[in-house]
Amino acid sequence: MYLAWKELYRNKGKFALIIVLVTLISYLVYFLTSLAYGLASSYTNAINQWGANNIVLNYEANNNVMMSYLSDDEYDRLEVDGEKAKLGFLPVIINLKDASEDIDTRQAVYVFGVDNDSFIAPEEISLITEANGVVIDESIKEAGYELGDTIEIATRSGDKEEWLIQGFTKTTTYQTAPVIHTSIDNFRLAAFGTTAAPVVSAVVIKGQVTDLNNTGAEIVMVNYSINDFINTLPGYTAQVLTFGLMIGFLIMIVAFVLGIFIYVLTVQKINMFGVMKAQGISNPFIANSVIWQTLILVTFGMLLGLALTLISGLFLAGVVPFAINVLFYVGISAGFIIFAIIGGLFSVRTVTRIDPLKAIGA
Amino acid sequence: MKNLIEMINVTKDFLNGEDVIHALKQTNFSAGEGELVAIIGPSGSGKSTFLTILGGLQRPTTGQVLIEGKPFSQLSDKQKSKVRFSKIGFILQQSNLIPFLNVKEQLLLHDRISKKKQDKAWLDDLLTSVDVKRLEKKYPNELSGGERQRVAIAKALYHNPAVVFADEPTASLDTKRAFAVIELLRSETKRQKKATIMVTHDERLIDYCDKVYVIVDGVMTQKK
Repeated sequence: MYLAWKELYRNKGKFALIIVLVTLISYLVYFLTSLAYGLASSYTNAINQWGANNIVLNYEANNNVMMSYLSDDEYDRLEVDGEKAKLGFLPVIINLKDASEDIDTRQAVYVFGVDNDSFIAPEEISLITEANGVVIDESIKEAGYELGDTIEIATRSGDKEEWLIQGFTKTTTYQTAPVIHTSIDNFRLAAFGTTAAPVVSAVVIKGQVTDLNNTGAEIVMVNYSINDFINTLPGYTAQVLTFGLMIGFLIMIVAFVLGIFIYVLTVQKINMFGVMKAQGISNPFIANSVIWQTLILVTFGMLLGLALTLISGLFLAGVVPFAINVLFYVGISAGFIIFAIIGGLFSVRTVTRIDPLKAIGA
Repeated sequence: MKNLIEMINVTKDFLNGEDVIHALKQTNFSAGEGELVAIIGPSGSGKSTFLTILGGLQRPTTGQVLIEGKPFSQLSDKQKSKVRFSKIGFILQQSNLIPFLNVKEQLLLHDRISKKKQDKAWLDDLLTSVDVKRLEKKYPNELSGGERQRVAIAKALYHNPAVVFADEPTASLDTKRAFAVIELLRSETKRQKKATIMVTHDERLIDYCDKVYVIVDGVMTQKK
């Protein structure tokens, strides 16, 4: 470690350039991870808030909650070990009622119709006092929506429903769009034009389904685990895989680049190492300094990259779906270190193969 | 006088395709306390083979090398490294200094590796005797060729080895500096009772040496 530090100290310029390179790549990796995680979260935040284990959909819906309808009868038939909750699900376009003609305030959102005493209802549901009251994800504020605003919903029946914003919820987004939580009745009004339709979209279960009680030979209800359900959200798996691959490759590229740098530096020092070996200095001592040097470079680069990421996050929060996940950062940092050491080991092999005889020019 | 290093019936053969090259024919050699020995000869004569076998960097084909009466050449590479580290000091043609350590750190590196602390007075004494005390905070690239060689001598002596090997220690120096370096090598050899073996082709230096050997075509003969 001593030699590693001394050399770094004496050749600050050269090593600073290497650190800058590692910093930039690790910045990219951390930043991309934060974005990927932020984006993935904004797909599933509202679902993750439930803390549920399973979701039951209509068989014909093919795992697509938008296409799923379950009757109140079916809900009643469903036997579970735990809790069950009705979910009315509807994608809608909302607009401010008093929107001016020249500013477009239309927003795509998802309506989650829930019973206010069910476990999938957000705490803020208690803020609702009016029959047409709703709570909505706070990200809608950026579009100019405020507490007490009346919003218009274009329904399938062609009528316009008017809802009143009575509160805001936190981290309740679905497929990156804000979620409106309201009563099952309001969902039915928006979806079917009447509160009399005894239909919801799905049943969310905390615990396990003990009996689907499908009548006769016909399969009506199918149970999915929440994880399976999330993984089949349109685009979710593709996006997570794409980011994962990019991040994985970038980590390896860093290791590779660093490995090459260290290797070149080692080759430049073959003579010096040879002389040291002639003097009886052991391979482990020399190898140690090579590995320490790799570790010092990668650690500095990594920490700077992480700092840049966090600073960027401060400025970009709200503009892009940036989310911090300490566990991912720790994992990626460990990946950097492990791969960098593997890169450094190539140089160690070179060191052990140096023949002091050749190095001293005999 | 005690023999610090001995070479007994050593030969070294190399294979060059089908041919066997006798790089070193049967050689006996010894050097004792306070002796400065010169090995001279044209290039390709076997000087380097001789010195590297003596220093344990090559294995002799037959015969053996003893250091302080103990077998050396038959040890494993790892054990030889250990013996070299504690018993041998090297002064090389191209200086054996580490570019990113200052003069003082060059010497202290040995302590750091062996994890033994030597006397501070010994360090100062050594740096003063080779006249580089005032340079102890300088790095090798800030020193002249003569200064570098003097530091290399101090470095070779710092861990108090039994034997010092010097390979063309004056190669890059002008006459005046070369004599100064060799004078220093001689006085330190006497003062610290080392056996110093110097390979050179500079015949002007032999007046300073106690013994002089000449190697020609792998055969060593004593000249002085």
